[in-house]
Amino acid sequence: MNGWLLAAAVVLTGGLGAALWGVATGPLRRRAVAQNLATVLAGSGLLLLAQGYDRPSYLDLALVLALLGPVGTLVFARLLADDLAADPPRARAATWATVGVAAATVAAVCAATGPGRAMGKLLVTGALLIGGNLIASRALSGGFGGVRGG
Amino acid sequence: MNRRTNSAALPAAAELALWWTTLAGLWLVFISTVDPLELAVGAGAAAVGALAARAARRAVTDR
Repeated sequence: MNGWLLAAAVVLTGGLGAALWGVATGPLRRRAVAQNLATVLAGSGLLLLAQGYDRPSYLDLALVLALLGPVGTLVFARLLADDLAADPPRARAATWATVGVAAATVAAVCAATGPGRAMGKLLVTGALLIGGNLIASRALSGGFGGVRGG
Repeated sequence: MNRRTNSAALPAAAELALWWTTLAGLWLVFISTVDPLELAVGAGAAAVGALAARAARRAVTDR
């Protein structure tokens, strides 16, 4: 077991475990935010596992998750728009903490990879993971007022 | 009329070129081995993607 796998274990058990607990319990606003943040934590875990097992092709899983996760959250934001508007989520600290974990993960894996096309793929995946999640978070808390139904 | 067609064609070509460059760059980053076949397929896929992206952008912004 190397440091990457240890970090992945910490992110997946601590972060993703906490996110799944948040999805399974509490009011709707907490569940919606937690399922959104679970995407970032699972994506960060996959980046770390890809580095830990030295299998760059595992990065594709994180890429697919980065694309599909925010889209799923947007579907929830739209379907649950009325309930969320009555009790909007406010999870700024948790969101930014999770984004911080993802950014640190991408930076660490990039540093280990070194410059090149592989690093470009990592950066694109990280940007999709973080950017998509922030947009989805904003949609959940009703940030896009001009769009009907969030 | 000819002048109007020209004035509309230039921004359209510029937008398509921008989308194509972006999409071809993404393809280049995501493929595992760079060889001529991959580049040819990527260029074609980026061209189709650029047309679709411009169509989608125009549908959203209603222009």
